[in-house]
Amino acid sequence: MTKPSISVAVLVSAGRHPLTGSPRACRGDCVALALGRSLAGEALRVIHAGSPDELSLQDYLAVGAGTIEVLRVEPGGDVLPAIAAHAQGIDVILMGWRTEFGAGSGLLPYALAHRLGRPVIANVLDIAIENSASNGSQVKLRQFLPKGQRRRIACPLPAVIAVHPAAPVELSYAYARRTSGRIVPVTVRDLAEQVLPSPWTVVPATRRAVRLKAEEKKAGHARMLSAIASEAKAGVVAFEGTSVDKAQVVLNYLRENNLVDF
Amino acid sequence: MSEIKRVDPRRPYQVTPKGLRRIVAGQDGGASPTIGDPGHAQKRQVKPLRTRQSPVGWHMAIAHTSRGRLDAHAREALAAAAILASPETGIIAVILGELNEALPELGVDRIAILPEFDCGRFQPERELEAVEALVEKYAPTHIFMPDNAAGDGDLGRRLIAKHGHNSATHVVEIDREHVATPWSGGAQRALAELPRVILLDVGAVDAAIPFSGTGEHIPPAELAAVPASPVAFQDLGVEKPDATEIALEEADFIVSGGNGVARVATLEALAKSLGAAIGASRVAVDDGKFSRDKQIGASGKTVSASAYIAVGISGAVQHLQGIKDCRHVIAFNRDAGAPIVKRADLTVIGDAEELMQALINRVSQARMQSETAGVR
Repeated sequence: MTKPSISVAVLVSAGRHPLTGSPRACRGDCVALALGRSLAGEALRVIHAGSPDELSLQDYLAVGAGTIEVLRVEPGGDVLPAIAAHAQGIDVILMGWRTEFGAGSGLLPYALAHRLGRPVIANVLDIAIENSASNGSQVKLRQFLPKGQRRRIACPLPAVIAVHPAAPVELSYAYARRTSGRIVPVTVRDLAEQVLPSPWTVVPATRRAVRLKAEEKKAGHARMLSAIASEAKAGVVAFEGTSVDKAQVVLNYLRENNLVDF
Repeated sequence: MSEIKRVDPRRPYQVTPKGLRRIVAGQDGGASPTIGDPGHAQKRQVKPLRTRQSPVGWHMAIAHTSRGRLDAHAREALAAAAILASPETGIIAVILGELNEALPELGVDRIAILPEFDCGRFQPERELEAVEALVEKYAPTHIFMPDNAAGDGDLGRRLIAKHGHNSATHVVEIDREHVATPWSGGAQRALAELPRVILLDVGAVDAAIPFSGTGEHIPPAELAAVPASPVAFQDLGVEKPDATEIALEEADFIVSGGNGVARVATLEALAKSLGAAIGASRVAVDDGKFSRDKQIGASGKTVSASAYIAVGISGAVQHLQGIKDCRHVIAFNRDAGAPIVKRADLTVIGDAEELMQALINRVSQARMQSETAGVR
């Protein structure tokens, strides 16, 4: 198991159901929490920046948070300075890939890593901590890539890690843990608390997003033509030859488009 | 015959760069073959230049290539940069990875290719340094990137975090004045003025644009050499799992069988020899030849493979819906009039069983040849 010298923390956010807006644990942060627990067990620290009265924190207790440290941040305030000050000494900082409440831009891990001067890796599926005498402790990670590919990366500690929602973890909800867990407010000192005006205007998403399209000036005749004739893609049709020739045609096509590597 | 002079409505005309029909007095248009023949003009597909002014400011689009090509999502980012540019703004495309296609048609004026940064390797710090150098040199007013998991979303966020750029991610709607992103999980939408760095979600822009750019390549010598600075990460390589184990939605190469497949074992052998996942049409699944989780189409799965081989599938509308995101479609079919032939990039007419056997043999030969060549 993990050496106790390496501290692991997970940042959890206030989750909201996307349709009803009711408070719940953010799915991505739950996955990060479960991954953190498999890494550090009971020693995992769970940190939330916001209000200690946040209802969704109860759900994190039920999923296995134990004790949640809450850094008090005004609604709409910047959580970054508070988290950066509090998480300074922690080796592995985990979090979900984006929040459910508010912007959900997925920028926090990058901003936090830049502020703390640490490496950051996103879309992580699993983590193993390695201690070696020669090059200190490092983490070995598996990163999600599209098209079924996975990348293995080694990264020195300390590091900031954003977890991909497809990480293979088991989540279990227990009411007993929910009642026995504790929420501890923590005061972070020396923070210039100020709520900056947000550049965003939030409106209900009642209509579909409009796709950006280039304006095209066409003569009337061309417009009429485009209305009746769809853009037919001319594919190649191979009629002639034996099946061996046709197989060669297919292989040539695959090779031309770099679809096979032989 | 009356003496009144009449204007012939079918008089020869020219199509101007803006696409408007123009009848010039005194010119009967005999000089050019495209004059007076709109059909021919369309066939040539010569897109006019977006602007003839020399650029004062810049819009930058940054994207990784895969297999030497830009995918549809990356093209959308390039198109957004071009559509939103004013006539005195130039478009510079920063291409990370090899590029084997022409970009002027995507409205790009300058192309900077950095071939060492393909998405197969994980080197975000060096990529960031190279991109920073170009951003500093050209000082673009807006930077457009696709927000994907293949490396562009990651690189864009690193750029934003390092420089504190005013930014928008997961942008679903964009025009000259504003951007919109989903807020609180999508029930709400947040609007803001066009920021400097814009990470676009897939489908926010129509990549078809009616103009082209000058497409000048920036010579590699002018691109500042990226120093081999100490890197934090050690890339231990990309794992490519066995194709049959990948979920169909994620698979990059799919061999799919339909009613025309008599022996499923041959199809499985073909998929194995090509390293492809197996899919099926509804008819084949209903017949019990394949399990339900293999079904591709409207009531099955929607796939986005780079290569899709449809064996004995006629191509019902519901099936074509399921493969609309596939880049290269190859069809094996007995009927040259089947709807799949219109969708496919390459159709081979013949008996499915025979063609599959021939392809299996040819592929195993080709593999043997490349292996022996590799040993030598």
